[in-house]
Amino acid sequence: MTEHDDFLARLRADAAPLRHQPDEVTLARIRARIHARIAQDEPTVAEIIASWFRPLAAAVAVVVIVSWIGIASLDAKDVNVDRVEIAVGGETYVVGH
Amino acid sequence: MNDDPLEARLIARVQSGDAEAYDAIVERHLRRVIGIAFSIVRNAHDAEDLAQEAFVKAYQNIGRFRAGASFGPWIGRIVTNLALDLTKHRTKFRHEPIEETQPAARRDDAELPALQRDAASRIDAALDELPEMQRIVARLHLIEEMEHAEIAEVTGISEGTVRSHLSLARTKLKAKLADLYD
Repeated sequence: MTEHDDFLARLRADAAPLRHQPDEVTLARIRARIHARIAQDEPTVAEIIASWFRPLAAAVAVVVIVSWIGIASLDAKDVNVDRVEIAVGGETYVVGH
Repeated sequence: MNDDPLEARLIARVQSGDAEAYDAIVERHLRRVIGIAFSIVRNAHDAEDLAQEAFVKAYQNIGRFRAGASFGPWIGRIVTNLALDLTKHRTKFRHEPIEETQPAARRDDAELPALQRDAASRIDAALDELPEMQRIVARLHLIEEMEHAEIAEVTGISEGTVRSHLSLARTKLKAKLADLYD
């Protein structure tokens, strides 16, 4: 069988009325429905702004948490450095601020 | 490979966020996409709904569309998969009402000579008796006038398999329509 077989060519010609050909009104309606669905998918201005602020807020939160942990650990170190215990003759003395 | 520079530019615009450019792409392919869906589901309303779904799905996945590729085969593949899923779903869940197939709508139907209408309805009935893939391949080839390579692209089967389905369909159609074509 070749791609341009005579029998199939005749069938094609006779089968032409079977092709579904929606009218212009139907096509316009479908195009409008597709357009509306796509517009729904488009983010609103509020969503775009929110999408910009979301990573910014996350970054600020990370900085705050890291800073807080850093300050807390420095405070803990300060306590250890400032408190010196000295044992003399069985007695313990604490030297510090 | 997309040989149409205008379409390639439209796709690039859509990919960079210009949704309005998609209208022109829909305009170019809508008839063909409805035709492909109709060849599979044989119901005008379903075909139109499937075409709508296919274009929305293609838009949602436009970021994955390879630059320089042709949009036609891609959207054709999407609508074919959706249409095959629908027919499989309906076959699986037989309790769902199965809509009757509808004859193709034609603007010039009233002007067709009676003989041509009769031949077309005989071909339609003969096509309906073919096994599913033979029927789909034959309808795409005969009614949508698609060549083997295009059918292979939209159905996802090899060109050799398309030829094989079409050859089997041809033999059966020739036997069923012998009185018309001998």
